[in-house]
Amino acid sequence: MEQPGQDPTSDDVMDSFLEKFQSQPYRGGFHEDQWEEEFEKVPLFMRRAPSEIDPRENPDLACLQSIIFDEGRSPEEQAKTYKDEGNDYFKEKDYKKAVISYTEGLKKKCADPDLNAVLYTNRAAAQYYLGNFRSALNDVTAARKLKPCHLKAIIRGALCHLELKHFAEAVNWCDEGLQIDGKEKKLLELRAKADKLKRIEQRDVRKASLKEKKERNQNEALLQTIKARNIRLSEAACEDEDSPSEGLGELFLDGLSSDNPHGARLSLDDQGRLSWPVLFLYPEYAQSDFISAFHEDSRFIDHLMVMFGETPSWDLEQKYCPDNLEVYFEDEDRAELYRVPAKSTLLQVLQHHRYFVKALTPAFLVCVGSSPFCKNYLRGRKVYQIQ
Amino acid sequence: MGEAGAGVGAPGGPEASPEAEVVKLLPFLAPGARADLQAAAVRHVLALTGSGPGRALLAGQEALLQALVELAPASAPARDAARALVNLAADPGLHETLLAADPGLPARLLGRALDPQWPWAEEAAAALANLSREQGPCAELMAALAAAEPADSGLERMVRALCTPGYNARAPLHYLAPLLSNLSQRPAARAFLLDPDRCVVQRLLPLTQYPDSSVRRGGVVGTLRNCCFEHRHHKWLLGPEVDILPFLLLPLAGPEDFSEEEMERLPVDLQYLPPDKQREPDADIRKMLVEAIMLLTATAPGRQQVRDQGAYLILRELHSWEPEPDVRAACEKLIQVLIGDEPERGMENLLEVQVPEDVEQQLQQLDCREQEQLQREQAPEPWVERATPT
Repeated sequence: MEQPGQDPTSDDVMDSFLEKFQSQPYRGGFHEDQWEEEFEKVPLFMRRAPSEIDPRENPDLACLQSIIFDEGRSPEEQAKTYKDEGNDYFKEKDYKKAVISYTEGLKKKCADPDLNAVLYTNRAAAQYYLGNFRSALNDVTAARKLKPCHLKAIIRGALCHLELKHFAEAVNWCDEGLQIDGKEKKLLELRAKADKLKRIEQRDVRKASLKEKKERNQNEALLQTIKARNIRLSEAACEDEDSPSEGLGELFLDGLSSDNPHGARLSLDDQGRLSWPVLFLYPEYAQSDFISAFHEDSRFIDHLMVMFGETPSWDLEQKYCPDNLEVYFEDEDRAELYRVPAKSTLLQVLQHHRYFVKALTPAFLVCVGSSPFCKNYLRGRKVYQIQ
Repeated sequence: MGEAGAGVGAPGGPEASPEAEVVKLLPFLAPGARADLQAAAVRHVLALTGSGPGRALLAGQEALLQALVELAPASAPARDAARALVNLAADPGLHETLLAADPGLPARLLGRALDPQWPWAEEAAAALANLSREQGPCAELMAALAAAEPADSGLERMVRALCTPGYNARAPLHYLAPLLSNLSQRPAARAFLLDPDRCVVQRLLPLTQYPDSSVRRGGVVGTLRNCCFEHRHHKWLLGPEVDILPFLLLPLAGPEDFSEEEMERLPVDLQYLPPDKQREPDADIRKMLVEAIMLLTATAPGRQQVRDQGAYLILRELHSWEPEPDVRAACEKLIQVLIGDEPERGMENLLEVQVPEDVEQQLQQLDCREQEQLQREQAPEPWVERATPT
């Protein structure tokens, strides 16, 4: 359209250029229905940069990018560009990309310690928001090595320690920062917060320790009571061969788990009498009953009267009535059975020299004496009677 | 303790005046002097400081004092010299003389005390602690602190030295605490310590439990008590930014077994204390702690905060344990305030109440009678917190 030799910006040329469009349509414009999208693609009018720049789609942008990130520029300039890029990503809360940018900036190993300190500190901030507190701490430590007085690094470090629950460390970092600027508000706030949390944590440790001690004393007292009654406990089955000692805790823990669905445990009442969790097993029908607190002075018959007031659902022959029942315990070592008189108290039976309490939960076998099952069950086994 | 002024062993000549004799020591104290002679000279000076007249004699000798301070740190005589200065400073009658002779003494001693490398920093601090008991030297010291470096940083360095374990590898610097306590008698020092835009007093709080030195604990508690006179700061002191009350109560608390409900009412720092918790062994420090809490109850809101934070429980137990009558009395008074009725209008700030003259007289009479009674109960032995090297 230009005539060679003419100045393209002269009024005449412009006029004739524009006049053409009175007869010819202009073809270089945006399309009517997608002009907004096309608008967005012009670098000058972009509101947001695309996350990936495809040179074919967006050659202008790719061009600009290569200018900015030109390897020909000094390391300091490149690092600064990466820093700015990182900051932009940070503002958009794209912390992952920010970390990458800052890392690229640090890779340039430029000679400016201030710039590097800022890169480290900013990367630390991005890591902080990603929840990578230890990485963030590494970064602020590096920043402080370059610039010991960099307050932002110190604040970030204190924040990280706070998140990691290193309250004493957090206070220390705040104090170090306050040595540089005694009035820094954020540090004053952080310090007060960390100090308070530290003291709360100390209280919690004391509380837990006291509770544990109390429990140990209670367990010790229970064990003493058992010993005083000459009740024998069987060795707690140690699954872990390497465990150094069967602490009281383990012993009581055994009693708490497995057969104890309700977490019932051995207890001592105000009169110094024990109540045991007791298991009744009915081998005939592979059923069981669990008594959560069988007072040691109560008799078997008393419990059986209550438990079998009505015959249980599994009792198909309806024969399990208190009068018919026979109670046994097994001496597992010798595979021998002992018949327990229904009128004995629990304590009397437990004190039997062949009764060994397993997992602090005494167990007994119950069947109907006259039944064929019982006769069969007892056949061929040594059965003793207890007085 | 021998009498000062006797012949020093100087060669020849008829009986010279004590001053002249002492001046003869000077050359031996000079930096380049022969080591053994120097040591002997300093030991002699130290011996002189063991008696009143000896001290008086030395206090007026400016050159001598300067020589004492200047002695090379690594030498053994320097330690004796430092101790001699402590003794001199311990004598209240001599402060004027000392300062007249050597006005730069406080500043120099301060420099020594806060120098992390100075091996006799503890002695320098002790000498300053002694000096600062009197108004005059205290003011001098404040001036030195203000002049030395940018504003407040002298006091800041002192607090930092006190709060940083291992600040000086060779000197524990416990005597910085009583020094701070004396300085806190001055409003300017309190203003710095209680600056709400800074974190100063907060750093001192954990030291109320410092196990290894009653000198340090006493100094810190004394400082805190003096700070509690500033009733305009009570709300801040009792609030979460400082939270002073638990630190005042903790040394007064024993291994009490409170119920769950009572425990929840106590501040966090006083909950679930272990069974081997000891109370503050020094009765004077316990008294100062009670006094500090009493000061905090001067205003109505302060009283409420102290009540709300469970002080009563701790004080009740303290009262039944306390063996010392005067501490027990102070404790009683405080408990009265906590459980008593609120005073009438116009009396909300007990520190500012105008007491009518006749009432004032009555109160003074009551006080006198109480004092007499206390004295009958205990042997009157005034406790002098004078720092002297052992």
